Amino acid sequence: MAAGPYNYSYIFKYIIIGDMGVGKSCLLHQFTEKKFMADCPHTIGVEFGTRIIEVSGQKIKLQIWDTAGQERFRAVTRSYYRGAAGALMVYDITRRSTYNHLSSWLTDARNLTNPNTVIFLIGNKGDLDGQRDVTYEEAKQFADENGLLFLEASAKTGDNVEDVFLETAKKIYQNIQDGSLDLNAAESGVQHKPANRPGQTLQNDQQPKEGCSC
Amino acid sequence: MDENETSTVVLPSSGSMQSNNPLSRKLKKILNTRLENDKELLDALRSVSTFFTENNIRTRRNLRGEIERRSLLINQQFADSFSLLVKDLECIHEDVQAMSLCCKDMTDRLAATKEQTQELITQTSELKTEGKKLDLQAKIADAFLDRFQLKPEEVKIFRGSRDGNLHPGFFKVLEKVQRIHSDVKVLLRTNQQKAGLEIMEQMALQQESAYERLYRWSQSQCRSMTSDSLDINPLQQQALKALQNRPVLFSYTLDEYSNARRGSVVHGFIDALTRGKHGPPSPIGDAPRTHGGPRPIELHAHDPMRYVGDMLAWLHQASASEKECLTQLLAECEKPTAEASCKTLANLLNGVCRPLKVRVEQVLVSEPGTLLLYKLTNLLKFYHDTIRDIVLGEDNSFPLLETLTDMHVLCRKLFFNSLQYLSSKLLDKVELPPNDLSSPRTLAETLNLLRDIFDSHDASILPAKERHTDLVEVMSHLLDPLLQMCAMSASQLQPADMAAYIINCLHAIKSLLSLYEFADQRIEMLSAQIEAHLDTLVNEQAASILTRGGLANVYKLILNQENKGQLLQVPGLDRQALMNAFQTFDSIAFAPDDLILRQVTLLSSATLKEVATARANDLVVSAYASVHEAFIDAKNGYNPSTFSTKTPDQIRLLLC
Repeated sequence: MAAGPYNYSYIFKYIIIGDMGVGKSCLLHQFTEKKFMADCPHTIGVEFGTRIIEVSGQKIKLQIWDTAGQERFRAVTRSYYRGAAGALMVYDITRRSTYNHLSSWLTDARNLTNPNTVIFLIGNKGDLDGQRDVTYEEAKQFADENGLLFLEASAKTGDNVEDVFLETAKKIYQNIQDGSLDLNAAESGVQHKPANRPGQTLQNDQQPKEGCSC
Repeated sequence: MDENETSTVVLPSSGSMQSNNPLSRKLKKILNTRLENDKELLDALRSVSTFFTENNIRTRRNLRGEIERRSLLINQQFADSFSLLVKDLECIHEDVQAMSLCCKDMTDRLAATKEQTQELITQTSELKTEGKKLDLQAKIADAFLDRFQLKPEEVKIFRGSRDGNLHPGFFKVLEKVQRIHSDVKVLLRTNQQKAGLEIMEQMALQQESAYERLYRWSQSQCRSMTSDSLDINPLQQQALKALQNRPVLFSYTLDEYSNARRGSVVHGFIDALTRGKHGPPSPIGDAPRTHGGPRPIELHAHDPMRYVGDMLAWLHQASASEKECLTQLLAECEKPTAEASCKTLANLLNGVCRPLKVRVEQVLVSEPGTLLLYKLTNLLKFYHDTIRDIVLGEDNSFPLLETLTDMHVLCRKLFFNSLQYLSSKLLDKVELPPNDLSSPRTLAETLNLLRDIFDSHDASILPAKERHTDLVEVMSHLLDPLLQMCAMSASQLQPADMAAYIINCLHAIKSLLSLYEFADQRIEMLSAQIEAHLDTLVNEQAASILTRGGLANVYKLILNQENKGQLLQVPGLDRQALMNAFQTFDSIAFAPDDLILRQVTLLSSATLKEVATARANDLVVSAYASVHEAFIDAKNGYNPSTFSTKTPDQIRLLLC
């Protein structure tokens, strides 16, 4: 029997953060639905999306928590950093203020997540190059200084959106492989599906490789 | 011999007789006969010559006999030869006869055989037809069996292996059984009712046992679904799809699932609360940047907002994950599952209610303060709505939602209790107004609280409409006692002091409320009250200026004496009195700032101060104008031309 759409070896938890209106929900929507949501309403609190991807032959389910950027929700959204394996930190390349706030977001992310949480910096609205307010080089330097992965993306055209989520997953998977991410830690943001489930009768339909379990 | 004889005969006649004589004719004929051409004759002569060797009389006489004897002999020979021939012929005839007999015999036998085989052929062809029919029947029977019975291997699949595992082909067989069961109804309509009934019963039995097996299998599967991450086996999705045909088993299976998951959710919740991280501690130490995972939620128990927020966020995430899992589990189901899914989730999330409730209640009863209570109320409400949107349940059937509502209600009640307490405290200990008539400290404190509440509300997470109904209630809880308190503390004061003091209080309240759009009605009311007190203060101010300017008495008398004849005659309104009044007023009008009442200067609002001064001045100017008018009116007989007075406009310029 073919592996069903729900067979996966890992679940990775992501969180998307950043100022209001930088396009966090649109990025998520573009990633999960492959569509651009033109008139996206402000997120209330926290919303949720999933998609299954494949990294190095492993099926991985991404569980993505999209937070509200509005300041009034900051207290609520902080509770969702706990146990995220990946944090996507988004700014808007056409609005300098959203870039300037990054350090505050980064502080939150660093303080509230694991040291191993992969933080990915995303300059969104890459399609509006004409209205650019933050240069690529500048943001790249910021990312390098802080040890972040970085890409400019566009939720509207879909440019790089896929890559952002996949690269993050690859990095997390790599961390698992080289043992720096401890799967046994509760809420490492990664859940590994055990290879042999009691009562499972479908043999050989997949053999999830036992992740590094140091 | 004949020839010779003839010639002898002929010769005599040739000369003597002519052709007319028959003899001659005969002779002629004989003569004309060409003997050499008569082959027969020649042959005969030749053969005669063979034996007629001696030509003598005896022989001549015996010739005839001789020939006859010879002919007899020949005939004899001939007869002999023929008799042989006859014998042979007879022989042949016999043979032919025998053959004929033989043939006849054979024909007879053939006929007999033919007669015999005829029957055989008929039999065979009959048998053939029968065979064909039977073949067809066999085919039909096979098809029938194929359609209405299970094959042995299918039965085997159906029975399953001893370890209780489910064969992947199980569902196909189950489907077949179901199909047979429904197809059998066609049989019942024909004359095959008995077979139909039997098959139906058989299939029903098979079906029941299959469902039972399936149920037991799913039950044990569900029981084992306790790990953190769930992977839904496609077989399980199919099992639930099939079990939908047996609502009772279906719901039992889901019960089993929810029980298993409930344990796992509670376990996860408690872990997140108390352990945060499994496994060995990090060797580097426990510095915040090096510890392996998030710290336990209970570490933040000192910060109620964070503590409760983290717990609720955890539950929100758990709800979403569980909902997703369940949706996957039910993904194959064809009938609507919303109700079952909600029920299952309700049961599943039931377990965390108690640990959550205990902790939240602990926070609530530890008197975290009015503002925090308010924030917690909103937080609880927010998560109630958020989780409700995920699980799509109603309070009365969803224990977690009910718990959240209960706690929200409790928290709200505690909040309003706290407000109540605050307001009763306000009225209990009414302070005396401060000397500078500014709004009292308690008012400022209460207003600060109110502002914090409003602001936190503004920063809160609820939709605006819900927010405002709440706030109006908060306002009425706090404002009315506040106003009452102000009124009480002002009760001992002089009218002007009271007016200034109350204006200051009201103004403080109003300036806070004016920041919030939902307070329009209150603001209107407060404005009206301020207006009323302002009037009092303006009157006081005007009266004070008039008194100090010496116009008060004169003005009062003039007002009383209106239209009663010459004012000059009225006691106290003589020319000197008026002149004195004008003089005094002139002197004070040059220093208008000194005229402003202390109460007016103590108004905290510069605008109100200006308004009060301006209105008081208006009153004074109009009072001055009426006195001035009375003075210059000729009928009053003051002889105004001999005393120069300032016009009201000049006074207005001086005062303002």
